[in-house]
Amino acid sequence: MIGGHITLSNIEVRWSGRIILAIKEIQIRQGEFAGIIGTNGAGKTTFLKVCCGLIKPTQGTVELDGRDLAGLNAWRKANVRKHIGYIPQAAEYNAELPFTLRELVAMGRTSVKPLLSPLKKEDYEIADNWIDRLALSDRRSQTFRSLSGGEQQKALIARAMTQDPEILMLDEPCSNLDFNWKYQITEIIDQLHSVSKITVLMVSHDTSLLPESCKRIVLLHEGDVLADGDIEDVLEPESLEKAYQCRVDILKLAGRRYTINKS
Amino acid sequence: MDSFFFLVILAGAIAGASTGLLGAYVVGMRMPFIGICISHAAMVGTIYSILFGVNPVWGPVVFSAASSMSLGMVRPGRSRIDANVALAIFFNLMLGLTFLGIGLMHGSRSEVLGLLWGSLLFVRKSSVAVITISGLVFVIFAALFNKELKVLLFSRTIASATGVHESFVYCFFLALCGLILAVNLPLVGGLMIFSLITCPAAAAYQICKGHRSVIVAATVFGTASAVIGFLVSYYLDLPTGACIVIVSATIFAVSALYRTFRG
Repeated sequence: MIGGHITLSNIEVRWSGRIILAIKEIQIRQGEFAGIIGTNGAGKTTFLKVCCGLIKPTQGTVELDGRDLAGLNAWRKANVRKHIGYIPQAAEYNAELPFTLRELVAMGRTSVKPLLSPLKKEDYEIADNWIDRLALSDRRSQTFRSLSGGEQQKALIARAMTQDPEILMLDEPCSNLDFNWKYQITEIIDQLHSVSKITVLMVSHDTSLLPESCKRIVLLHEGDVLADGDIEDVLEPESLEKAYQCRVDILKLAGRRYTINKS
Repeated sequence: MDSFFFLVILAGAIAGASTGLLGAYVVGMRMPFIGICISHAAMVGTIYSILFGVNPVWGPVVFSAASSMSLGMVRPGRSRIDANVALAIFFNLMLGLTFLGIGLMHGSRSEVLGLLWGSLLFVRKSSVAVITISGLVFVIFAALFNKELKVLLFSRTIASATGVHESFVYCFFLALCGLILAVNLPLVGGLMIFSLITCPAAAAYQICKGHRSVIVAATVFGTASAVIGFLVSYYLDLPTGACIVIVSATIFAVSALYRTFRG
């Protein structure tokens, strides 16, 4: 069964009484590529974490392929999430551990395999396959910590892909990368989406990082959905000016949209 | 070599090996402080079981298991205080309870003060059996849940988001962590156990490549710290605990230098 359908309804996330996220209703359809954008503190990461059940909303329901996450115990919740590929921000993983690239990529298979069944040769073959596809072959036996930032990001994507994901969630996958790596990483995400037709949710600060196959934008502002819809409709000066509180121009260049502060 | 001498070396080797192995996970998860917290909780358990005339085996096991489980409730990114701050507060509370217990005690306090530095030299066969069994239980656990533990080491966020049975394995791990610390505490003491958890593992992380070699190296370094430390103290007539701590720190220093100069 191909899944990857997310429905959020009447979501409210509070933190010390303050509302971090308030969403009436959002559906992410299977196979869709949605970009989550917004100002700092708009609730982008929280949105992503609510979608994959890392943050339990104070109110409302999150449904993953029709199954309400809140109604599941820890065990079944884990089973529902095994086809979510998640790429967090750098602060949320320990890049200093001496895992080899191959070990790290093969880790994705842990989600798919049941408890007590160790990774086997075929799991490492799947890992090797993704390492080759993302052009990391000559780094295979190096440690993750010795790789460059861009290579590490590729490794994390490869790791997620070995899970055979139905949904790929990326939290600022290009922060700290130079412009060329930014382009390369987003192109990889673009290709993965077009080839495998998985659902992609990507949080980004920078509209120019959203690749061509990203057709839908959710614009968050202070925890609310300010705009949600086709990229053409959402990425226009009026809604962005509301969110960013400055005059905005949008520059289209080579299929990407650059947001520029005009004031 | 008489049988007493052999028993002390054996006890030291097993205590060093099991705390070294445990340390590989504790240090890798960036929470070495948890070791000192749990071992002090075990100390509180021992002191109050002596005070209330209960069998001093159960107090520390119950206390350390309970404290490690409650520390497990501190979820990264979900609680409002940093995990390390929570641990520091917890540690202070345990220290307060420890000294309150010591203050309330009548008569000889040597048994209690021995908990700070341990009493390796007064080891009995039965306690060697207990630490061996608990060490083996941990080895079996680490082997059975190897693939999950690797993901937990790398990132608990990824583990949780991607359907690895994170909470189950982590709670199991914390409970065993409490067990190992509680049973080794009377032998090595609260202060030394912290250095045996931290130094050998930190040294292994400096020089190793790949998860398996870290695990093996941390265990070997832990064993070596305890055995060499004991031999040095025996032949030079120095305090045992202090020698073990210094040897383990030296192993770390040598590995750090090795990594620096090898690049």
